[in-house]
Amino acid sequence: MGAEHKLLKTVLWDFQVKELNATMGEFGGWEVPMMYTGIMKEHMIVRTDCGIYDVSHMGRVRMTGPDVVPLLQKVFTKDISKTKEYWMSGPTLALNEYARVKDDEMPYKISDEEWLVVPNAPYREKMLKHFAKVAKENGFKVNIEDLTFKLGMIAVQGPKTVEVFEKIGAGWVDDLRTLQFRTNEEIAGQKVFLISRSGWTGEDGFEIWAEPKAMIEIYRALLKAGAKPVGIICRDTIRIEMGFVLGGHEYGEDPKEFPPANSLRYGLGAIDWSKRGFIGEDALRAYRREGVRWIRVGIRMRKRHARAIIRQGYKLYVEDQCVGWVTSGTYSPYLKTTVGQAYVDSRYAIFGDFIEVEIRGKRYEGKILDFPLVPGRPVVK
Amino acid sequence: MSVVEFEVAGKKYLVRTDLRYTKTDEWAKKEDNKVREGITDYAQKELKDIVGVELPEVGAEVKKGEAIGALESVKATADLYATVSGKVVEVNERLLEEPELLNKDPYGEGWIVVIEMSDPKEYDELLTPEAYIEKCKKGEH
Repeated sequence: MGAEHKLLKTVLWDFQVKELNATMGEFGGWEVPMMYTGIMKEHMIVRTDCGIYDVSHMGRVRMTGPDVVPLLQKVFTKDISKTKEYWMSGPTLALNEYARVKDDEMPYKISDEEWLVVPNAPYREKMLKHFAKVAKENGFKVNIEDLTFKLGMIAVQGPKTVEVFEKIGAGWVDDLRTLQFRTNEEIAGQKVFLISRSGWTGEDGFEIWAEPKAMIEIYRALLKAGAKPVGIICRDTIRIEMGFVLGGHEYGEDPKEFPPANSLRYGLGAIDWSKRGFIGEDALRAYRREGVRWIRVGIRMRKRHARAIIRQGYKLYVEDQCVGWVTSGTYSPYLKTTVGQAYVDSRYAIFGDFIEVEIRGKRYEGKILDFPLVPGRPVVK
Repeated sequence: MSVVEFEVAGKKYLVRTDLRYTKTDEWAKKEDNKVREGITDYAQKELKDIVGVELPEVGAEVKKGEAIGALESVKATADLYATVSGKVVEVNERLLEEPELLNKDPYGEGWIVVIEMSDPKEYDELLTPEAYIEKCKKGEH
């Protein structure tokens, strides 16, 4: 291990290590909490109780100026002109000229001239450079401020979340609709920069941005009220069964490794085909006209293969034909079986049909399903 | 038989003094001409939640140090190695439905296979508990 390679520490690092005794590990260049009490246990906490994720490694970027909207319209595939103040726009994609995905993000509108974006941790620096470059090339007057090292961020997720907030005197959070947010609020006597009804779990929940000292106090209050710390490994197992995508697995910039963005079947209105002029549009429309070679699907292993764990790169077969590959896989303690996501040749992607996954030379059957693989989700308020 | 606790990088692990060990984190227990094996507390803690296993076939002939099965943790697959050469005479089928036993009770109910030894001298070549603790502290694999 090179002596020079140092991991970034989030503003909550000390608290995680010393007070919460988190098992730390690496993600996207940061040292983050991997696990606390057990991955399967934490997965169930999020689906049945209330868990707190420390997501301070994710980027928090504020954009201000007269040309923020044109900049966001140029970078992202969604038409964000329809987004209302104090609402998140819904997820969207930033493409490169090959119509491959650079990042999936969700812009937050404070006003026409003030927006927030949350780049994924591994792509924060890349996206900051990208935003600046696009602004410069187009003469957009935008000020871009990186708040990642000033504010912490947590995601409180699960069906018991509102109960927990009620216990700490913040039951008003239930007034927020999903994707709605507020700034400059107070929770547990602490100043909160932003609170949104959002998350990446499919459960009801809230994300909070606050300065480190305030964040720690809020964290402590939530834990006292019954929320439990959950780590990044169960963040992955949770998102896999929801059908949410992860860079490096379902998408990436390299056209040799990843299909174009429409193959992703991201859903959730991430691409507005009626919008013109975004980066990657020409290639994307060309792929759309041509028809997709691959599409992303869900896989749920047969009951008797419930413990046949599928992983990124495992090949898929119909009879003796290789028809695709697994992009992510995990055992789901909630569904009590192994599930995953995969790219399948569009000619063989018949939902409800079985397909074989090759695991160490042997074949195991799974069903091709659409997302989410978890019933009754996402929870929308 | 006693249990010894040791520490590596601030984390605590257990070994049993009546067992032998490998550099690949298996434990071995001599039972007459057979050896029962499993993975150590160090291994299960490093793997974290184990969600699946691949067991060898009963009757399979195995060589010491050969990969004879697999342990599926959430993030990766780890090979299981034979501690001795011989014939697999028993496998713990409970693990197929309850792989979490490997985390909960790695030295007891989480046993994985029983091998009938073809060369009993091989057992004496395995690491003593002290040597295994040294290996873990040095971070060798």
